Amino acid sequence: MDMITAQVTAGYAQAKALSATAQGTLGVGVGVAAATEGFAQVLARHEAEARAALTGGGDPQALVQAISASQMAVETVTTVRDRVVEAYQEILRMPV
Amino acid sequence: MHNLSAALARSTAGMQAQSQRLRLISENISNADTPGYHRKLTFFSQDADTGSVQIGGVTLDRTLLPQIYAPSHPMADDTGYYAGSNVDLVIEMADSREAQRSYEANLKLFDQARQMLHSLIESLRR
Repeated sequence: MDMITAQVTAGYAQAKALSATAQGTLGVGVGVAAATEGFAQVLARHEAEARAALTGGGDPQALVQAISASQMAVETVTTVRDRVVEAYQEILRMPV
Repeated sequence: MHNLSAALARSTAGMQAQSQRLRLISENISNADTPGYHRKLTFFSQDADTGSVQIGGVTLDRTLLPQIYAPSHPMADDTGYYAGSNVDLVIEMADSREAQRSYEANLKLFDQARQMLHSLIESLRR
């Protein structure tokens, strides 16, 4: 049981460190983004591109790239968040 | 920007360059009968910082315009000739096919890079 405790604690610490360094370098929110900007900035910039494309005159290739990048960013953030929460729940489930 | 995002950005730039090229080709084709029209040429260059492709500049093809004999034409001079356009439809059609193939190659690469990124993130989900 001690080995499992140690492994679970190490896993949680690792996931927390990963999200903390990501937060430190990116500045906003939790998680990893595809570029060096924060997750919220990625979404905001790509939302502006999408709006420009919808109101006419936007570049379709840039729009598709913006949507793909924001899709990747959202997927990454949710996956990392799921891992952190799961590691935390493993610790909670440990017998006292 | 890590490598797969850079691949996405480069292929987007490639698609943009090819679509600009196609725009110039369609301008040439639509003006094939316009008197005095010089066909537009362009060349690609590489951006110094990022390595993306971009349109270098639009120039006019300075080949001599063909003189067409049509005395009844409103633009004919005293000898009955007027200057046509130096657009050759066969060349323009071949150019447009090449632009389409390059565009499709860039699109395929874009799709591949996106799938690689996606499967990488998916592996975290278990």
